[in-house]
Amino acid sequence: MKIPLHSLRWRLQLWHALISLVLIVAACLLADRLVTRERFEGIKRELFDFERSFFTHGLADHRPNDSKDTPPTLQMIKQALQDFSLSKEAAPPSFLHLFEDDPRKPYIAYWGEDGSNIFRAANTPPRVTAPADVAERYRWEESQENKNLLLTRSHRSGLKILVGRDISDDLAALTRFRLLLALGGSAIFLVALAGGWWLAGRALVPIDTIALTASRIADGNLDERIEIDESDSELNRLAAVLNGTFDKLSDSIERQKRFTADASHELRTPLTIILSETQRGLRHERNAESYRGIIANCQTAAERMRRLVDSLLQLAREDLTNGSVELVDLADIAFDAARELSPLADAHQSRLTLDITPAQVEGTAADLETLTHTLLSNALTHTPPGTPVTLRTKVVGEEVILAIHDQGPGIPSEHLPHLCDRFYQVDKARSQSQNHSGLGLSIAQSIARKLGGSLTITSDDSNGTTAKVRLPKS
Amino acid sequence: MRLLLVEDDPLLLHSLSEGLREENYAVDTATDGQSGLSLAQEIDFDAIILDGMLPHLDGWDLLAQLRATKLTPVLMLTARDAVEDRIRGLDTGADDYLTKPFDFDELLARLRALIRRNRGQGRNTIELGDITLDLATRTLHRSGQPVSLTPREYALVEHLALHIGKVISRTELYEHLFDENEDSLSNLLDVHVSNIRKKLGSDFITTRRGHGYFIS
Repeated sequence: MKIPLHSLRWRLQLWHALISLVLIVAACLLADRLVTRERFEGIKRELFDFERSFFTHGLADHRPNDSKDTPPTLQMIKQALQDFSLSKEAAPPSFLHLFEDDPRKPYIAYWGEDGSNIFRAANTPPRVTAPADVAERYRWEESQENKNLLLTRSHRSGLKILVGRDISDDLAALTRFRLLLALGGSAIFLVALAGGWWLAGRALVPIDTIALTASRIADGNLDERIEIDESDSELNRLAAVLNGTFDKLSDSIERQKRFTADASHELRTPLTIILSETQRGLRHERNAESYRGIIANCQTAAERMRRLVDSLLQLAREDLTNGSVELVDLADIAFDAARELSPLADAHQSRLTLDITPAQVEGTAADLETLTHTLLSNALTHTPPGTPVTLRTKVVGEEVILAIHDQGPGIPSEHLPHLCDRFYQVDKARSQSQNHSGLGLSIAQSIARKLGGSLTITSDDSNGTTAKVRLPKS
Repeated sequence: MRLLLVEDDPLLLHSLSEGLREENYAVDTATDGQSGLSLAQEIDFDAIILDGMLPHLDGWDLLAQLRATKLTPVLMLTARDAVEDRIRGLDTGADDYLTKPFDFDELLARLRALIRRNRGQGRNTIELGDITLDLATRTLHRSGQPVSLTPREYALVEHLALHIGKVISRTELYEHLFDENEDSLSNLLDVHVSNIRKKLGSDFITTRRGHGYFIS
């Protein structure tokens, strides 16, 4: 916006000005041309008619009556002209000016074949001389000299005729007209400029609004959105797209903030333990047993932190990246997970039942392993010892289902909506002592979503708990 | 000094309570808000250390309910250092707060200050004739010479000195010197008192038979 020409408004204005100028100039030139032509045609017609009427009416009194039907001879015309020039009083009123000195009215002159002047009206300017050569007979030749328009012709009798008129008044009128045209054109141009500037500004107002809103959002006011009116203009569509983008961005910033807050919150407790244990240890001399206890506590806290950091990193990766996708049989994954976790099932005295049928999905094996592993180990550790657990894979319609069901006491319904929240723990004290970071289900859920599916957990106290993952069949 | 520690993380609870016991506080513990509240309402603690995030009843709600009946000084531990959390804690009736992770030494210092303020004692030393108690270092001097006391003996002297001139019942002394985990024998108090008299003179602690002890 520093250089005016780089601003959209200025560029629009410039193009608008250029086009208006070209159009207005073209229109003015056209008008000028037409009017000039019209004017000259009019004068020519006037002169032409004048010559005709002079010949038929002006000389009529001086021509013998009997010869009206036959073409007049040169001699007759000479005689008639001679008579006309001598009888000013008898001349019809429309030809009286031929005896006065007023070149603004048509004048006429005749020359003989030999170039001798036969007749010369009194108002003929002295400059006018016999036309040197009139190329074709019967055709009027026009010429314009010294602000006079002259028409010349040769009569078949050999006469050379010239009619003319001083056209300086007409030229002055034309000049006035051109001046008016120029003034009018300029006025229209100025109005067009102003109108264009106003229109460009009006069209660009939404852009300013968008820019202003965007800059407020950039300043940290993430809830701000561009106001969109009803119309379906291009800028409104742009604003809608931008609003959608802002929504997504602020969502992800909000998630990021919550994640950071949660992560730091969860890291504070083990950190406090390490600080308090080490400071306690250093305050007093104590026996080896006591030191060992303190070190063991520090180790436990540090391990908790390590688990937390691992899970957080995994979660961050799930949120951010997309691994290479391949065709995976969920049945294989489920079978491997069941085999890997069988020691845990044994330790927990749980009977683990497999009910797996081939189910192809598109995804990364590592993701699906994490997903299955998390859900199965949850079922095996969050239930009382001896709870039967079933692991199922099947294809239902266009979906592949991975279901892990335990016949435990169920999860209280108020916890169900929050199970997949990060760090949400139904029984905080117990889960922390059992090596859980509180991120397992969050990770499972984000994997399921990444693969285009969903994770739902249903539970009631009579039927136990089912974690069901639905993925699109491939 | 008898403290109540309410903290839901078992490891942190263990670490803090052990640390405080090593500093000769009698420490009772609770791992959730509900049991913490009933303990706090039942016993006159010298101070309560209260975690903000607790299962069943969180620290702020516990505090609000406790303040209806008791004015026990409360130090809140918050994991979030959000200003609103601290303001909410202080406004609800907390006397001080610490943000996790904190230094154990700072916790001890704040506890001392809290208890001292609650007693209306501005300074950290108490003068009783030629005997001086230093509450910060928990030591006792007689005419500038340090007198060696066991932590429990010191705690007994300190409690009596903080309530100078007032007769303190045996029950109250038991409550403030021993936590509920200790299987205290009823004559343990008499043993401590006679040991103190041996070290500081027989007239240092006066017995009001049937009522208790006091320092004049």
